[in-house]
Amino acid sequence: MAKKNLDLAPSGKKQKFTIGQFFLGLILLLYTLFCFIPVLLVVTSAFTDEKTLSKNGFSLFPEKWSMVGMNAVLKYGKQLAISYGVTIGITIAGVVIGLFVMSLFAYAISRRDFEFRKFLNIYLIIPMLFSGGQLSCYIIYTSMYGLKDTFALLVLPICVSTMNVVILRTYIANSIPEELMEAAKIDGAGEYRTFFQITFPLLKPSLAAVGFMMATMYWNEWQNALLYITSDKKKPLQLLLVSIQKSIEFLLNNTNVPSSVKAAMGGTIPQYSSTMATVLIVVGPIVIVYPFFQKYFVKGLTVGSVKG
Amino acid sequence: MNKFQYFVKNTWKHRAHVVMALPVFIILLLFAYVPMGGLVMAFKKFDYTLGIWRSPFNGIENFKFLIASKQIFLEMTRNTLMYYVIFTVLGTFLNVALAIAIDQFIVKQAAKVMQTLMIIPVFISFAAVQFIVFAFLNGDTGIIAHLTGVNYRFYSNAKYWPAVLTVVKIWNSVGYGSVLYMSVLAGIDQELYEAAEIDGANRWQKIFHITIPSLIPMITVMLLLSVGGIMRSDTGLFYQVTRNVGGLYSTTQVIDSYVLNAIFKNSNFGYVAAATLFQSVIGLVMMLIANGVVRKIEPDGALF
Repeated sequence: MAKKNLDLAPSGKKQKFTIGQFFLGLILLLYTLFCFIPVLLVVTSAFTDEKTLSKNGFSLFPEKWSMVGMNAVLKYGKQLAISYGVTIGITIAGVVIGLFVMSLFAYAISRRDFEFRKFLNIYLIIPMLFSGGQLSCYIIYTSMYGLKDTFALLVLPICVSTMNVVILRTYIANSIPEELMEAAKIDGAGEYRTFFQITFPLLKPSLAAVGFMMATMYWNEWQNALLYITSDKKKPLQLLLVSIQKSIEFLLNNTNVPSSVKAAMGGTIPQYSSTMATVLIVVGPIVIVYPFFQKYFVKGLTVGSVKG
Repeated sequence: MNKFQYFVKNTWKHRAHVVMALPVFIILLLFAYVPMGGLVMAFKKFDYTLGIWRSPFNGIENFKFLIASKQIFLEMTRNTLMYYVIFTVLGTFLNVALAIAIDQFIVKQAAKVMQTLMIIPVFISFAAVQFIVFAFLNGDTGIIAHLTGVNYRFYSNAKYWPAVLTVVKIWNSVGYGSVLYMSVLAGIDQELYEAAEIDGANRWQKIFHITIPSLIPMITVMLLLSVGGIMRSDTGLFYQVTRNVGGLYSTTQVIDSYVLNAIFKNSNFGYVAAATLFQSVIGLVMMLIANGVVRKIEPDGALF
């Protein structure tokens, strides 16, 4: 894109802002609003007074603002803090483990005179073509490996993906000169040292791209959590959202819930504004961090689409 | 020295690389290959106490059952395919249209900011999206109910959901999907446009004769590759956004969400495994065909 901007200038004719451009801009603006208003709605309803909300409904311009929703979130307090810790933990663990093992593998299969790499390439591609499916995974992970309710199942099954290895492999093949590695070897560096001191540091741009996409995936993962996690101590944020929704459903469908049960649920009886406040707290970090990584993942997407 | 000896020697020479490949090898073995083997369950009378490997075989009983229960099976297969077609056709069209629109807009800074905002939805998990959708659709406090004054009862009317899910899917994915096409547009040789201008081409002519043709290879590759996922769906969209409401299943149940529900309900696992095997085999066949076609027309786009 940078190239384009440069090209416009030297060609000598500045493009005019025509009526056509005006309508184009208008359409783009409308689509942007379509994308962004729902996000904004989360923010405004998190700070809307609960009574206003049940009277007037959700709105971008509530009659009365309030911090009560946010305060109510603090009532989930302990569980929210635990879930935040769990999500941050599995995100970091998943990204670190995934990037490390995938770049080792990508490096190994990009060595051209390594005969065994043909087998490894096929071994890597097959899981993308065929999968055992959720049910088979569920039974094997829980009854055969006995890993139910462990962090291992939140981290390991999704830390390696064929597409990400391909992105890293392509980057190594296209952007890291073979001569560098050769030179290191001539200077007496072993295989491992060559990898850690030469290749790995040079992989940084593609590690940033893949790493950010992985972090988003881990942060937003709810399915494995729903299937495998049973104890509150290990509940990630997304599962917390799911269980808030379940408890709303429970209250709506059971009008005769005894007051003792409601009391037992204590502060966790969800209200619209506090629910949205929770959503805001869960979604916020990714949305805030993403613009800083935008240029990397755009690059990552592009690199991944070119075969190595 | 024969081939085998050469191979052994070569592998020994590269033993460090074998070690480097080992962690991914093991992770894929445990979490991808062993579950593939678990699909033998489709040919077994599954007994949880015996586990997958020791449950007795029962031939094709499960598949007979699958065909016998055609109502559910056909319905979820139909839904899976229907949404695949809608999302792919409409999604691709909008991805391309948006990419061209952003590319054509000359106020670059504004385009950049708008693009950043358009991509945000893809980073919001469906577990969170369902609360946003609820804020629009529910009968009490929903925005639509308040703006129109009509309570459409979205959560008990299956007929609305194909439209609702399509809008949510577009909201979620089009901004992100257009990035790939934009990167292709950025690579078009500017001299082509200048030459066309000299020949007196207007903006639309340039779009139809230069921009779109140069996107065709990428569109073809993306379409063909998506074919491999024809039987898979974004489970979050169908399980979370619909709140898994049973009354909506006739238009919202897809194979993936059916399997997820089956696990929680502890239903007949042999039967579910048969459905999964069907899904995986169709996916594999479509993928192989698609890859073969890509290989023929655009060798660089082929996956293997």
